[in-house]
Amino acid sequence: MKLATMFQAGLPYLVLTGGLLVVMIGVAIKRTHAVAAVLTIATLIATTLSHIVAYSALGDGAVQIDSMFKIDGIAYLFNILFLLAALVVAFLGSEFLNRRIRFKEEFYLLLLCATLGSLVLPAAVHFASLILGLEIVGISLYAMIAYPEKARPPLEAGLKYLVLSGVGSTALLFGMAMIYAGSGSMEFANSLPSDGSMEGQYFYLIGNAFFWSGIAFKLSLVPFHIWTPDVYHGAPSIVTGFLATVSKGAVFAVVFRYAIEGNVLDSGNVQFALSVIACISMVIGNLLALLQTNLKRLLAYSSIAHMGYLLIALLVVESNSALGYETVILYLVGYFLMTLAAFGVVSVLSMNQEQELETIDSIGGLLWRQPIAGAVLIVSAISLAGIPLTIGFFAKYYLFYAGIDGGMWTLIGALVVGSAIGIYYYLRIVFTAIKRPLDDAEAMTGLPWTGLGILVVLGLCILALGIYPTNLIDLIQNVVQASGF
Amino acid sequence: MNLSFFLFYISAAVAITTAIMAVTRKNASHALIYLVVTLLSIAVIFFLLGAPFAAALEIVIYAGAIVVLFLFVVMMLNLGRSSVARESQWLRPGMWVLPAILSGVLFIVFGYTVLQTENSAMIEGQVVPPKEVGTVLFHEYLLGVELAGVLLLAALVGAFHLGRRYLEERREN
Repeated sequence: MKLATMFQAGLPYLVLTGGLLVVMIGVAIKRTHAVAAVLTIATLIATTLSHIVAYSALGDGAVQIDSMFKIDGIAYLFNILFLLAALVVAFLGSEFLNRRIRFKEEFYLLLLCATLGSLVLPAAVHFASLILGLEIVGISLYAMIAYPEKARPPLEAGLKYLVLSGVGSTALLFGMAMIYAGSGSMEFANSLPSDGSMEGQYFYLIGNAFFWSGIAFKLSLVPFHIWTPDVYHGAPSIVTGFLATVSKGAVFAVVFRYAIEGNVLDSGNVQFALSVIACISMVIGNLLALLQTNLKRLLAYSSIAHMGYLLIALLVVESNSALGYETVILYLVGYFLMTLAAFGVVSVLSMNQEQELETIDSIGGLLWRQPIAGAVLIVSAISLAGIPLTIGFFAKYYLFYAGIDGGMWTLIGALVVGSAIGIYYYLRIVFTAIKRPLDDAEAMTGLPWTGLGILVVLGLCILALGIYPTNLIDLIQNVVQASGF
Repeated sequence: MNLSFFLFYISAAVAITTAIMAVTRKNASHALIYLVVTLLSIAVIFFLLGAPFAAALEIVIYAGAIVVLFLFVVMMLNLGRSSVARESQWLRPGMWVLPAILSGVLFIVFGYTVLQTENSAMIEGQVVPPKEVGTVLFHEYLLGVELAGVLLLAALVGAFHLGRRYLEERREN
């Protein structure tokens, strides 16, 4: 591989790292919130645009950089998705920081670091790059979760996430060591035991058990989900949005790579374990969400269920990897839009208050008190429930299609049951937001226009892609085909 | 059962014993002393596996820098009236006996291994000298090293921001 091609293919990473350094030096010279925010947003936009230049370097295939990275069109699709999500977080975050936080600039550094980590993961084909990417995202997130200086809940949430994510990483590392002991290689493609001996098989199975436990921790799948509601609840809403979307999506991207390169689903045991985790995540996540009166905790449990749904896309990879990739990318686009919209609404509404908006009752009559935010929240809840004319419907439709294609009837059953339970609590959000407000409920004014503008864009995207998803689906199919699936 | 496995099991037994002791001690500084011995025994295991560079790093970075930092923090946190009494209790004769014996065992294993010629005490595989580690690290895994730099940057920025909360609170009081 020519050096020039490698540099061109890696351009987005270079631009983002360069931007990170510029922001850091800028902050070190003079602390100005506006400059840091503008530089960060410019970096994220420049990185997104640099994918256009970089894409031509790929030709028709992938660019392998050393043994650690394999950059292809799919990785770029994931990258662009994460970058756009980070852009939303940067915009909404700047308003949040402006109104609530005294020391603002470090947030942008952490956001850029976390984004860089999440861009590393879709291209990783080596356990070393996997753990480095995961830890960059994780370590940046600890500090972002605990970012507000005065309040106690964020600090508690940050500490919980630090400890439990640390446990998850430990399991992951131990699993990698075991897989390495069996195969003698850290590359995904050579992770199967080289000789057919029983000893190698045992190492491989134990290693994968630990590996997937660690991954399940990061994705908050049942039974490794206990930390999720507490952390989602305690963290500032906009950081929760980032945690729920980018960090989860990046883990999915790398897990797909491992499943395809390493043929790990050929092992019946791994497949069975993942199916069980998927089923109980879908059902238990939705059941627990029923009982919640706190909006952020409700969204946390709903995200557990959504991660369970996404495992269907992972499991179909074994028989039809192109369909698996199409499903996961389409679902993640939808999930990112709806989740960012939901947490964005909570974040924007809480900006003028000392306490974050929490209970479902506190959004009673939101549509009348603050029509824009109310409408976006309703659209997002409808989309999360998977009702037609929203992107959520097509995402779920694709999951059904993938499940039927792979013949996974139990999983489809769990998906149906989970979605049916889900409709109940998503519609509760919708009805609470629509009902006439109490007389003493005050109108919400003085909310930032940029924040509301971003929310409107997210809401419109949910509807537009739900009504006319053809272009998006074509784009995804073309890129997946061009990447050699 | 050949000799190198015997050496490995001695070091592994020391590692497990001290790790259990470290977890179960109620006194933080006693736990840390056991932790040092755990790290030393892991270093000896690395050495037996033919990775002297990893063994040296284990001692220099973990047993040396990190645990000493822990010890300093634990001792700093206990400033107060009763600290003198507590400190004399920490250093009461007898508590150091077991760690010392276990370290002695490790020292014997280590010394025996060093005195062997032709790597006969090594378990399996090949010796990886520091030069080779460096070549691989700054050639094949160069991007990994760069990413580790970003990881440390994120940790530094995060620690700086979170640490400032403490300083602000102290300034206000």
